[in-house]
Amino acid sequence: MKLILISNIITCVCAFAGFTYGIVRFFKPRKAVYAQMIALSVGCVAFGRLYQVVRLLTGGDMFNGFQLGVLGVIGSLMFLFSANFGAMDSLADDKSKTLGKYRIIALSAPAAALVLYILFICFTDLPRSVKIASALVTVFVMQASYFHLKHLILPDVDYGIINCLKTYNLLALIYTFLCMAETVFIGLNNEIGILIVGILTGCVLIGIVAALQRGIKKWTI
Amino acid sequence: MDNLVYILFICLVAPLALMVLMLRKRSRLLVGYMLIGIFVSLFVSELNTVLLGWFGNDVLYVTTTITPISEEILKALPILFYAIVFSDDRERVMPIAFALGVGFAMFENMVVLVQNVENVTIGWSIIRGFATALMHAVCTVMVGYSICFVRKKKKLFYCGTFALLALAMIYHGIFNMLVQSDYSYLGFFLPSVTYIPILLMHYRYYKSKRNA
Repeated sequence: MKLILISNIITCVCAFAGFTYGIVRFFKPRKAVYAQMIALSVGCVAFGRLYQVVRLLTGGDMFNGFQLGVLGVIGSLMFLFSANFGAMDSLADDKSKTLGKYRIIALSAPAAALVLYILFICFTDLPRSVKIASALVTVFVMQASYFHLKHLILPDVDYGIINCLKTYNLLALIYTFLCMAETVFIGLNNEIGILIVGILTGCVLIGIVAALQRGIKKWTI
Repeated sequence: MDNLVYILFICLVAPLALMVLMLRKRSRLLVGYMLIGIFVSLFVSELNTVLLGWFGNDVLYVTTTITPISEEILKALPILFYAIVFSDDRERVMPIAFALGVGFAMFENMVVLVQNVENVTIGWSIIRGFATALMHAVCTVMVGYSICFVRKKKKLFYCGTFALLALAMIYHGIFNMLVQSDYSYLGFFLPSVTYIPILLMHYRYYKSKRNA
């Protein structure tokens, strides 16, 4: 349990650092709502992890039934999906037939998440509550990862917006799969795995905000 | 004696309801939404009793996991109604979201007061008055922010509202967990820490609007 607490503290501190940086940089008048949503996504992780840290410090545990910390992961994935689906995708994808192959290739990310989930539930004997929680995370990972992979491979059509955000999309794609990996490790009760994923998630979250800031800066040039 | 919670509810709501009739435009809206917050709080207090029964009277689990979800959803509904039916202008939605949160917290404090009347002190009232009111108001404002997109950007609204609702639930859960733990002082400190940046952003937003 100590390793899980350390993992959560590391991710929480990193996420709060990223969130604060995002708030300072992106929450200004006339700044893109897209960037604000990514900052809020990192904020969701920060608060979700804070919830888990407080829960562990006050004698609760992470494995006994549903707990609100899961909403932190789901909320963050929802923000990432929302930012792409609601703000960016209409600019990046002109819905033309020539981009069809990229849309099909992008489906490999959600397919990989689905396969990972199926393998996870087939080869482990877990309580139904864990399977349902993992299924929920998988659904949100699938929808967020699709757009990140799509925007990573999509050629820039008109505005040169997507090219600037390749690093960000790569990091966000890694983050979605780290969420998946953590769900698997929590299900397996593998503390070392949870710690490694926690550290990686923390680093990726800081990277996401930094890469986004760098990408957005290029928009104005 | 009749149920004290309902007696307090009538004593609080009756004068405010009469006042609403005298008010006009923005002030009527604000006091009206404060009243709605009180109504929602009364409903939630009854709902929480039912939920507590369903979850085997485990007060800690219900207050840290279940009630944040039920309360945040119920608080968001009147704001969503206003945004859909009347206006989704941020300058209108945010103040009513804050008013609803404050009204909710006011009545919740009264319910807690009635349930713990032997143990309450002036210190308790100061801490609870500031911390709980701010916590509820901050949570409702968070959700209200995304509800503002209901007509302008529908795609952002659906996902953003869900995500901000999740954020508000977690924030609420952290607060409830902290105030019931040995670190209760941190729980009372948390809303102030989040309220100040929101207040600063709010002023900056109005300043930039005025300069534009």
